[in-house]
Amino acid sequence: MTALSRRRALALTGWLAVAAVAATVWLGLWVTPPDENMGDLVRLLYLHPPLAWVAFLAYGLSFLASVLYLWPRTRDLRLDRLAGASAEVGVVFTGLTLVTGSIWGRPTWGAWWTWDPLLTTTALLFVLYLGYLALRRVPGDPAGRARRSAIGALVAFVDVPIVYFSVDWWRSLHQAPSISLASRKMYVHGSMAWTLLLGFLAFTLLYAWLLGHRYRIARLAEREESSVLELALAERRDEAVEGAPAPVPADAVTGGGPGSPGVEMTPAGRSR
Amino acid sequence: MWRDAALVAGKDLRIELRSKVALNQVVPFAVVVVILFGLAIGQAAPPAGAASGGALANATVLRAAGAGLFWVAVLLSTVLAVQRSFAVESADGARDGLRLSGLDPAGIFLGKAGATAAELAALEVVLGLAAALVYGIHPAGLAMLAGAGALATVGLAAVGTLYGALSSGTRVRETLLPLLFFPVAAPVLLAATKAFDAAIAGTPAAGTTWLEVLAVFALAYVALGAVAFGPLLEDA
Amino acid sequence: MSYVDAGYVVALLGLSGYAVSLLLRERAVSRRLRPGEGKVREIGASAGAETPAPADRSP
Repeated sequence: MTALSRRRALALTGWLAVAAVAATVWLGLWVTPPDENMGDLVRLLYLHPPLAWVAFLAYGLSFLASVLYLWPRTRDLRLDRLAGASAEVGVVFTGLTLVTGSIWGRPTWGAWWTWDPLLTTTALLFVLYLGYLALRRVPGDPAGRARRSAIGALVAFVDVPIVYFSVDWWRSLHQAPSISLASRKMYVHGSMAWTLLLGFLAFTLLYAWLLGHRYRIARLAEREESSVLELALAERRDEAVEGAPAPVPADAVTGGGPGSPGVEMTPAGRSR
Repeated sequence: MWRDAALVAGKDLRIELRSKVALNQVVPFAVVVVILFGLAIGQAAPPAGAASGGALANATVLRAAGAGLFWVAVLLSTVLAVQRSFAVESADGARDGLRLSGLDPAGIFLGKAGATAAELAALEVVLGLAAALVYGIHPAGLAMLAGAGALATVGLAAVGTLYGALSSGTRVRETLLPLLFFPVAAPVLLAATKAFDAAIAGTPAAGTTWLEVLAVFALAYVALGAVAFGPLLEDA
Repeated sequence: MSYVDAGYVVALLGLSGYAVSLLLRERAVSRRLRPGEGKVREIGASAGAETPAPADRSP
């Protein structure tokens, strides 16, 4: 897949996403009927669960990419880049999931926050993400940073089911069940069902587009990092060997093809 | 691997015995935390006209919350203990020495985590007494307390050591480690508190599910740590 | 504003805000990468006339 066709595919995804989201909003706000029990509040159904789904999807992808990175046979810095990009996009969706969940919860049960197992797990997911992103920002050579981040992702991911089970069990002990958005038996049919489905699709497309751009930023940033390094080295060589021609790093800025991993500047290029 | 673990654990514990950092700093810290919680929660002014009733009400709150507060204090202390555990390596290139020593990395992990767990266990005994005193808790169901405490401690030490290794080479380790550690430790806090609550309330059997959660957590992170520590050590 | 409206506004604003920030960041990084080529050329020139010209730089 050439760079141009990739660019086109990404743009197409973007436009599709915009159209799908617009359609979801239109259907959700105006076309679909209010619910018998919830009234208009049901319209948040077309937002909150899709956002939550993307949050978990992003996290899952980040985890998968991290695992593959740690596996020697599939080790590739591109996977690390993907993990980081997916995590950042995921944070945004997670935050929005929490906010929409809170907004939905307030008129429904009178509280801005409920210890709903799914919502609580999402809140924890948010903080776990933030920790992971902070870990990624620690400076270091690309391979070491990637390895650290991948392990961090693993450690965090293993926690998620444990958290969910714990909170679920805790809640089930304290009150009658089905006070949670997730466990509520909602009868979604007709136009509501289709809109919900569209919502899932729309936000997944949007996620894909955002991911594509975030990934590209990561790739460009890595290239910038390595070219700055190359320049610094060249200048240093310049100073050290005065007058002698300094070998100009030919691919300092152009780099390899669009899909190639960042230049490895350190001996950490050994694989395990 | 186990021999290496024992070696490393022995070294860490001996360093602690000689320097007494955990004893002199972490334990007092934890006790202070327990007291501070007591101040914060027990401090509300009694409602007008309720006189001693108000004071009793807050004591009840403290007693009810006591197990949770105890475990929060333990969590905070774990961060300190882990930071200490890795600080001893950063002096004089001890880290490189450890890497080159040819010891099994899984063993190193188990050793460090084990030493941390032992320190934490000792801390918990002291802290437990302090909490029982300050919060007016009468410990019961000692088997449940011991079981839950042991499992929780192992789990916390394992995750802590793992994250400690992740953040130890970095300059931001002081703020990074808590940020990483606390969210992951959340289920331990919940489960251990609930198990303790069950024990104190006199119905230890109610805590068995929580014991399982703690066991799963401990198992998962001991295994993960043992496997992941090797590649981590290679990191300068 | 009803709760529903608030929810939609927050979600859409949040997502579009993030999208815009991504596009701006991408532009900023690309722009920073382009002038770098000029710097490389400078270094090559200052090192001496015998320095071979930098290899073909395709965008």
